[in-house]
Amino acid sequence: MSKENKKIIKEATIATTEQITRSYFFKECFSGMGAMALGSMLQGCDWLGNKDSFNNFTDTNPLMARAPHFIGKAKSVIYLHMAGAPSQLELFDFKPDLLKLDGQDCPQSLLEGKKFAFIRGVPKMLGPQAVFKQRGQSGAWISDNLPHLATVADEISFLKAVQTDQFNHGPAQLLMHTGSPRLGRPSIGSWVTYGLGSENSNLPGFVVLTSGGNNPDAGKSVWGNGFLPSVYQGVQCRNEGDPVLFLKDPAGIDRDMRKASIDAINEANQLTYNEFKDPEIIARMAQYEMAFKMQISVPDVMNINDEPAYIHEMYGTEPGKASFANNVLLARKLVEKGVRFVQLFDWGWDSHGTDLSNAVDIGLINKCRSVDKPITALLLDLKQRGLLDETLVVWGGEFGRTPMQENRDGKTLPFKGRDHHTEAFTTWMAGGGIKQGSSFGETDEIGYSAISGKVTAYDMQATILNQLGFDHEKLTYNSQGRPFRLTDVQGRVINEIIA
Amino acid sequence: MDSLINFIGHFHPLLVHLPIGILLFAILLHWLSKKEKYVSFENIVPFTYLIGALSAILTCISGLALSTSGEYDETTLFYHQWLGILVAVLSIAGVYFTKKKKERFLQWVSIALLIVITLTGHFGGTLTHGEGYLTKGNLTNKLVKTKPTITNAQEAVLYTDIIQPIVEEKCYGCHSQIKQKGKLRLDGKEWILKGGEDGIIIHNGNALKSELYKRIILDPLDEKHMPPKGKPQISEKERVLIEWWINTGGYFDKKVKELAQPTTLIPILASLQNNSSKPTIIEEVPTNDIKAANQNSLNELTKLGVTILKVANTSNYLTAKFFTVVKTNDTINNLLKTVSENIVWLKMPGMNFTSSLANSISFCDSLTKLSIEYSTITDNQLNEFKKLIRLRYLNLVGTKITLNGLLQLKGLPTINELYLGQTSITNKDSLMIQKTFPKAKIIFGNYRTEFLPSDTVILKAPLKK
Repeated sequence: MSKENKKIIKEATIATTEQITRSYFFKECFSGMGAMALGSMLQGCDWLGNKDSFNNFTDTNPLMARAPHFIGKAKSVIYLHMAGAPSQLELFDFKPDLLKLDGQDCPQSLLEGKKFAFIRGVPKMLGPQAVFKQRGQSGAWISDNLPHLATVADEISFLKAVQTDQFNHGPAQLLMHTGSPRLGRPSIGSWVTYGLGSENSNLPGFVVLTSGGNNPDAGKSVWGNGFLPSVYQGVQCRNEGDPVLFLKDPAGIDRDMRKASIDAINEANQLTYNEFKDPEIIARMAQYEMAFKMQISVPDVMNINDEPAYIHEMYGTEPGKASFANNVLLARKLVEKGVRFVQLFDWGWDSHGTDLSNAVDIGLINKCRSVDKPITALLLDLKQRGLLDETLVVWGGEFGRTPMQENRDGKTLPFKGRDHHTEAFTTWMAGGGIKQGSSFGETDEIGYSAISGKVTAYDMQATILNQLGFDHEKLTYNSQGRPFRLTDVQGRVINEIIA
Repeated sequence: MDSLINFIGHFHPLLVHLPIGILLFAILLHWLSKKEKYVSFENIVPFTYLIGALSAILTCISGLALSTSGEYDETTLFYHQWLGILVAVLSIAGVYFTKKKKERFLQWVSIALLIVITLTGHFGGTLTHGEGYLTKGNLTNKLVKTKPTITNAQEAVLYTDIIQPIVEEKCYGCHSQIKQKGKLRLDGKEWILKGGEDGIIIHNGNALKSELYKRIILDPLDEKHMPPKGKPQISEKERVLIEWWINTGGYFDKKVKELAQPTTLIPILASLQNNSSKPTIIEEVPTNDIKAANQNSLNELTKLGVTILKVANTSNYLTAKFFTVVKTNDTINNLLKTVSENIVWLKMPGMNFTSSLANSISFCDSLTKLSIEYSTITDNQLNEFKKLIRLRYLNLVGTKITLNGLLQLKGLPTINELYLGQTSITNKDSLMIQKTFPKAKIIFGNYRTEFLPSDTVILKAPLKK
């Protein structure tokens, strides 16, 4: 036997023994034998009664388009998240009685047993810092901060009594998007991609765009895949310059060569997958393939330069600049090309009143001005393209803001601001089979607590899934020995706003 | 003391089943024991009667405790109460006669018991489930019939025509002649004004202070929420109507038009009117079953880049989308024909149309939704679509279709959404198009957002009021 052959045999022996180490053996023993035993004990017994639930992961093509549970009205979702939590009291929830209380001490009854993020002691009440009018035939209250949106009020269904139990940005954003305030769960876009795959095989099913100068406080986990295979995570595009980097092949490598090398890598990966059955290997293979296809598809889709002038005027977009408006226009283009879920985060809505940029009567209005026109244009543009009925647009923050003026550390702040508020805030949905010009839920005279039509993040998630054709109780994935779902053990489809 | 009585009373619905079961069993044993084969049963008849009698007495006591709540119809309660007591007395007599072995008396007692138990049970049922519960179908069936039709909401009397039917459907079950839970009746003006055991329930002009309304908007999991968990709930529309009724003064005789109507109420009032004028809805997906499409064709099309799949797991109808295919060849066109009956939605934005593709599409008998925006379709090719008799949605945005081209489809009156933005067809033709497609919502698009100077101004200080 030659020296080389001996060396190869030795390497192979080491590799094999590495696999059959003591810990590997025990792991296999327990999960293997345990599963066998359990499987035979539970044979033929559907012990969770989940006949319709499906594990959607296929090891050939995880992003293949799939049919939902039932016929869904919406084919795609554009979720506009105003990170930092916009003040409902300056935008949609008009409380004339709060104006009368402006500057007075907050009654003890509202403070007893309550905890706030920054308010200490007895704060003063703060009247609405905006002029409100009723808009459209539906008579929805929208403030002058959103003059453009006011013109499309009749397209929208407002949820006026949304509640959460998290008063810090990170956990509250996670709850809104993953159904849990703690890290580790898949985001709603990942669930949707897991359920429906990607309709356009050249583009990812779930794209994320951020604006406002920062990522949301909860970080990238709000579009993470959690325990789902990572092929379903949101694909974040850059917010300035080229949305996706390195689209050109390096010098000296042509398209065929690139294809050949990806094929070779994936063949090797396939062998490893056949041995270990780790879904992450499939995810990696799919991502190589997707990246290869995106080299061709992205320059066309992710480019707003070639849009006609009237579209730029309508959205208020300026190509090349990082802006929410550009992201909104991109979102429309992506949805048009069959992307299922487009998630937009706009940072900077945390109106505490600690400085000019976050005062409810200054900075908040500037934020409104940066989103008002693009959002309105989005609704109108989708409508004139015949896409509004099949595109669900969701707008909201992670919580609301207090009817009291913030008095951080018991001091009077230099600007008018409001603290985080969990008990009532406003979000809205439009298109995608949602009622036009309707409103659900009510808050009390000062907008402190919800009195009817209360909904939670889970209810919104259940509704979004429902519009896409999913029973939120049946879209499950087995992890850590049990089926998980987005809405955990909660969630009610908000039928009151469904057309 | 009251709460103790209440507590005991709550056991009545549980205990009531014991004497019925045990005494009927005692009677059965007694009768069987007369047969030679079952003669040994005789030994346990006295014991069974004894247990039956004891349970009957306990049931009577708990029943009397429950009756003090005053939630029940008095006449029915009277019969139920005294017949129940008679059951107890008869069963004690039964115990006595079995002990003394007075066979003849025992026979009469057992027959009487059988009759009295049946009657008592029936009256008990009437108390809980309402008059005529045995013969009538389920509750909802009954109520659908009684719903009045309103032809003009403005002329309707708010209470009698709108509010009362809601209250009747959702509240009468526990708060009317048959039952008065919480000593409350809602089946009449005087009862409503009187209120229940906690006092009046309506503060005229203020819904939020009125118990009737407050209970409705409580958290559904709250014990005091009305209607109780598991019963049909007040819908959002109904809630708004009740709120409005109380806020405008809670009148029993005023007409809708006499009361101030907030704008939010107008669509709700309109929705109450007779729905005969509602347009007929054309299904997006036909409701009839269809055979599954040829799987080989589907696999082939998928391989060629067409996203073709079922509209839902439960349906055999298909949706086909051409996102990555911008030009079809004969293979695709022919494959489409093999699954044409199943396709309900077709989406081919920017497609390079050929007459053979148009021809393939014209075979899609079930097609309801066709999106061919920004495609190169011509008037001639569009003419093929005359055969698509189920078509309800047609998106021609950004195509070269002309008015005459569109009017070729005049045989398709089912179209109810028509998108014509960025075509040579404009608003001025809308009358003609509307006449050809009477059900259609026509969208010419061309929407713009207004230019506002404030859009680009960045504030440094609060706006002046």
